[in-house]
Amino acid sequence: MRILFIDNDGAGFADYIDIAENTTVEQFFKIKMSGNEASDYMIRVNRQPVAKDYVLQEGDRITITPTKIEGAFVA
Amino acid sequence: MDDIKNTIKMANQIEDALLKLRNHCYVELLNQIGRAAEKLRELTETSKKLAVCLSHNWLSAAEVCGIHIVGLTKDVTYYLSQLEKLADKPTKPMPTLSVIVEELKQLRREFNGVEFDKTEGVVSVVTGPITLDDVYLGPFKIQLDLKKLPKLYVDVPYSCIALDPHPAATNEEVTHPHVSNDRLCEGEGTAAIRAALEGDRLCDFFMLVKGILNTYSPDSPYVRLEEWDGQACYECGYVTDSENTYYCDFCENIFCEECSTCCRSCDETVCLSCSTRCSHCDEHVCPNCIKECPECGSLCCSSCLEDNLCPKCLEELENENENRTRQPTGTTTNPNPGRTEANGPESEIQDQR
Repeated sequence: MRILFIDNDGAGFADYIDIAENTTVEQFFKIKMSGNEASDYMIRVNRQPVAKDYVLQEGDRITITPTKIEGAFVA
Repeated sequence: MDDIKNTIKMANQIEDALLKLRNHCYVELLNQIGRAAEKLRELTETSKKLAVCLSHNWLSAAEVCGIHIVGLTKDVTYYLSQLEKLADKPTKPMPTLSVIVEELKQLRREFNGVEFDKTEGVVSVVTGPITLDDVYLGPFKIQLDLKKLPKLYVDVPYSCIALDPHPAATNEEVTHPHVSNDRLCEGEGTAAIRAALEGDRLCDFFMLVKGILNTYSPDSPYVRLEEWDGQACYECGYVTDSENTYYCDFCENIFCEECSTCCRSCDETVCLSCSTRCSHCDEHVCPNCIKECPECGSLCCSSCLEDNLCPKCLEELENENENRTRQPTGTTTNPNPGRTEANGPESEIQDQR
């Protein structure tokens, strides 16, 4: 099924992707953001906070935004 | 009801700004093409010059052309890469009012103090109080200026304003390790912030900026948090940053530029209190290099001491030696062997007899 995935980590990514039916938010995160801790990210589905066991639906909009981003200094 | 009306009015303004941003993307694309074309023209001119140099066998001039070509090639490569970034963007549907209204509603849920200033065309949110590594920085207002949004590619359309400023002791314009003059240095968030604004995702934009404000990057701050309160000179109390402080190895304290110096002999840093002035040259000398003249007890640097004596005592000794050489027992060394000075010309006549 198709969902809109917006990844605000790194360079940013926003596009429709296909995922398996009955994929939960937790499972989705582990697939797409493997190696990262969910607690370091803000996850929203259809602009709302959801539980990690929420099952993604066709056409859902999931956004993953890091809560810690390193700034820098312009030399 | 008023709130919904205001939200829709604001959404209209945002929609206009986002449409102008898309337009400006192509304007900037044209500018970049112009810059790349200009550099290619220069490259063509330089290649003609190179051809002339080769035809006349002017190898030195050809080398100069070669160096110029290297610089132009780098410029062309840079402008072409910028061009590619601007042109290679996935097509997106035009922003609709309903999507923008949803963005603004989400913004209200995620942040406190969300303000829409219709007159100024500014959308702002307020973060919670920020504390990094036990240094309190206070809350920040992230203010997006819709008038500047279309100029995203040449200017920064937002500000980070400290509402309860606790700036660095050494620079009051630095209110956060990564904010100077209300301007955030985005670092790793640069690409994502731009993508969020280009993608009409206002709420994501504000959340990314908030993420940077909530993170300390010790490798590249304007002012390090460890030095946020500055370092006070041990002598005068003047507060400055670590680059302008000096450590005295002798008393193991930190001093400002005015209260420290370098030893004239060994060049080591020494505070004014630990140093001593040479009694001859008046330069500062560290405790390791200051020496005492055994004759008069005056303190001198090693450069002024000669034969272990201070210049004054050395001069006196030399004068003494000279005097002794002239009159130690009533005779003196006669530079003229045929004549004794003590006896005068009469003795010369007597000798001849």
